[in-house]
Amino acid sequence: MNHRTIAIGRLPAVWSLDRAAAFLSQPVNWVFMGVGGIIAFLSLYPSFFLLYGSFTDAPLGVPGHFTLNNYIQAYSDPEAYRLILTSFIFGIGASGLSVILALTLAWITIRTNAPFRKLFELTAIVPNIMPPILISISWVLLLNPNNGLINAILMQWFGLESGLFNIYSIPGLIFVEGLILTPLSFLIIAAAMKSMDPALEESAKTLGSGEFGVATRITFPLMRPAILAAGTLNFVRAVESFDTPAIIALPARIEVFTTKIWREALGSFPTNHNLAATYGVGILVIALVFVYLYRRFTSQVESFSTVTGKGFRPHQIDLGGWRILASAVAFILLALMVILPFMVLLLMSVLPYYHVPTWETWKNLTLDNFRYIADNDRVYRAFGNSLFLAVVGASLCMLLASLTSYITVRTKIAARGLLEGLVFIPWAFPGTALALGLLWAYVDFPIPVYATIWIIMIAYVTRFLPYGLRAVSSTIIQIHRELEEASIVCGAGFLATFRRILIPMMRPGVVAGWIILATIFMREFSASLFLYSPGSEPLGPLLYFLYLDGMRGRVAAIGLVISLISIILIAIAQRLSRWETK
Amino acid sequence: MSDKFKYLLVCAVAFFFASQAWGQDAKLVEAAKKEGGKAVVYGSLESDTVGAIIKAFQKKTGLQVDYWRASATKVMDRAMSEYRAGKPLFDVMLTNAAPMHVMLNEGIFAKYNSPSAADFPKDAIDPNLGPRYRNVIAGIVYNKSIIKPADAPKSLEDLVNPKYKGKLVMPDPTQHTTTTQWVASLDKIMGKEKADKFVRDLAATKPILVESLLPAAERVTTGETPIAITYVKYVFIFGKKGAPMDYVRLGKMLGDGHYVALNNKAPHSSGGKAFIDYFIDDESMKIMAEMGEFVNRKGIYPPLPDAEKIQFVQMVNFDKKGFAAKKKEYSKLFLK
Repeated sequence: MNHRTIAIGRLPAVWSLDRAAAFLSQPVNWVFMGVGGIIAFLSLYPSFFLLYGSFTDAPLGVPGHFTLNNYIQAYSDPEAYRLILTSFIFGIGASGLSVILALTLAWITIRTNAPFRKLFELTAIVPNIMPPILISISWVLLLNPNNGLINAILMQWFGLESGLFNIYSIPGLIFVEGLILTPLSFLIIAAAMKSMDPALEESAKTLGSGEFGVATRITFPLMRPAILAAGTLNFVRAVESFDTPAIIALPARIEVFTTKIWREALGSFPTNHNLAATYGVGILVIALVFVYLYRRFTSQVESFSTVTGKGFRPHQIDLGGWRILASAVAFILLALMVILPFMVLLLMSVLPYYHVPTWETWKNLTLDNFRYIADNDRVYRAFGNSLFLAVVGASLCMLLASLTSYITVRTKIAARGLLEGLVFIPWAFPGTALALGLLWAYVDFPIPVYATIWIIMIAYVTRFLPYGLRAVSSTIIQIHRELEEASIVCGAGFLATFRRILIPMMRPGVVAGWIILATIFMREFSASLFLYSPGSEPLGPLLYFLYLDGMRGRVAAIGLVISLISIILIAIAQRLSRWETK
Repeated sequence: MSDKFKYLLVCAVAFFFASQAWGQDAKLVEAAKKEGGKAVVYGSLESDTVGAIIKAFQKKTGLQVDYWRASATKVMDRAMSEYRAGKPLFDVMLTNAAPMHVMLNEGIFAKYNSPSAADFPKDAIDPNLGPRYRNVIAGIVYNKSIIKPADAPKSLEDLVNPKYKGKLVMPDPTQHTTTTQWVASLDKIMGKEKADKFVRDLAATKPILVESLLPAAERVTTGETPIAITYVKYVFIFGKKGAPMDYVRLGKMLGDGHYVALNNKAPHSSGGKAFIDYFIDDESMKIMAEMGEFVNRKGIYPPLPDAEKIQFVQMVNFDKKGFAAKKKEYSKLFLK
């Protein structure tokens, strides 16, 4: 069997004709070259314009002179490093909180027999559907010290003189961003938890460990790849996020790295995309360090292999009388993540303008914002476009992510680490800067994709592939090689093994990744805004325009409808994939 | 000359000019239909306002208009990127003075003397960009259910009164370009000495800073912060929905002018010209004013109390270095 493993995917050290022929005779190597080619093109082609832009003194697309001034301007200011530190605290706090909340929720909904766990599992994903800016605004309306709804109620009940909570603080910032990031962590961690073999847990129990001991000593350590995957993705996502800092940090006069990027590059007039790309290179370095750390911490792949040929699905823990408490904890978490912000959105959608509700408010409730959706052709068209992008885009992205993940985790091909690095390059640039890189890359492309819906599809796959890759990689790591080897021993080739063994075993990760991507694609705006043309307008830019025009009610109404559609999509995806334990 | 004859003569002259104007419109519309019967417009003017104008334009000409809306800087970024790549998709550009001048200097626009431009006051016509069709005016806006009109500030200087401390919200002048311009232009309405002192005192009160003018107005509607430096038109726009808002009558108020221009590589140049003719025509200006905009036509005002008494003062424009220097200067004052 050994010779077979070596033959699959090991790049010959010295290329002789015979070795090249042997390399090419393996289908997996063809897959590697195909996938590698596609990813290298998707990633490097638009990124080239941005990297080039970071070394020139002229705007993108205009011939300029080589310069290091952008790097000097971006990184010679000591203030930048202080802000990077603040961003680091913010990123660690928010991603850490998201992982803790996701682990708790995933354990309750997947591993226990707590009542309503399936409902909790479905709703935990919902916040991923809403534009983050709306969730931040909802929390400002709930927790601002002057008249935040929760503060106002507490002040009235307990006769307090000032609000108990102040959202405009570092803890407030971490709290809101952590809640925004939790669905992504939940999806990745829940997928991995579903793929666990009960054998180790049962051994621990046999040796006298209680349920809590098993969870802390066996289950969670085995979840390390998924926890790291979620933590890595969310850390970088928090560090590069601007929405929440703009809404919460700015009024609190807390500066983070992205507010500096905004002031000096993206928000400057005219916009300095060269400098934005230079800052993007910094974020890229951070992202690549995290990719490296992730690979290092998960390099002993076998130690995480919990899905073997001997067992399949994790057993459910009977919590006995604690079932209700577990459900109560899940309910409180979901109240914070979903119910409270969505109540604010619902209120926003039925008020003519948002204000703290009084008895007078109830007389002025209106369905005008929902009527706007029902009567407007532009909204219908945008829903159609976004649904197409979500379903087709997420499917294409997951196909590519699955193949990439197989190559990077399973094969010994020398350049597999590079492939993973490539995936992360476009992701590290600020959304608007990447959109310009994409515009430049495809505006004059021989295949006329510019000004069609396909360029948006390309943009989505290029930018969001890391999400799909992380979701599926953390699952594939758990699948023991013995299943694959058994298939090969029985005479199946690479493609048959991939289709019949790996795809079904990777299914939880694939579906989780698909859901993450589809829900993001339903409302993405920073890349699509620059790339869509009339007729191919998706929902994200439409929401952005309405937001820009002060139509919060319409934004909230459309947001609620998007959520409903996305929940239906998620339910269909779960049903089709038979995600649930059979 | 009898009165009857005079009347007939006036009618004949009026008919002659009307038919001339209509003749040009009809020719343009005909040419536009041959180009595909549409115009593509990029701009930062609110979608609902443009939507109402497009509806009337389509009814009149049968031409279709596609509108792509974004913030002024994003509009400029996309237009210039497409133009530089040789594939501009837009025919008409609608945005404010600073980005319009940047694009003008890039050589993006064609000189088009629309017949409708003749009806604008002379001081509202830029020699290169044509008529400044609307003014977007910034001032002091407040929530009158929280601050009674008698207790509201009466002047800009009043804002630094300790009784308003913690009650004022404004966009961050170190981040938001229009606010940078607003702060830098205060000397035009207050005089240099007073303006410098006011800016220092204002920064010292530590106003609540947000990312742009709309979030500032929204904080007034929600009552979170009852006073804002923001666009005066929000008093009408949010007031229409029932928000208890009013503005301080300052007399002279700073604002920015907005222009419309034709792309010199417009894929549908006749459609673009026909749209511009209609866009700055009386009918369109009235639609715009009804939506709360301050248009530059004598006698046409938004339905906002005392709108006709506001004296518009154009804010100063800066180049890239000028903006960067001002933002740095305000960082020391507002973020310390």
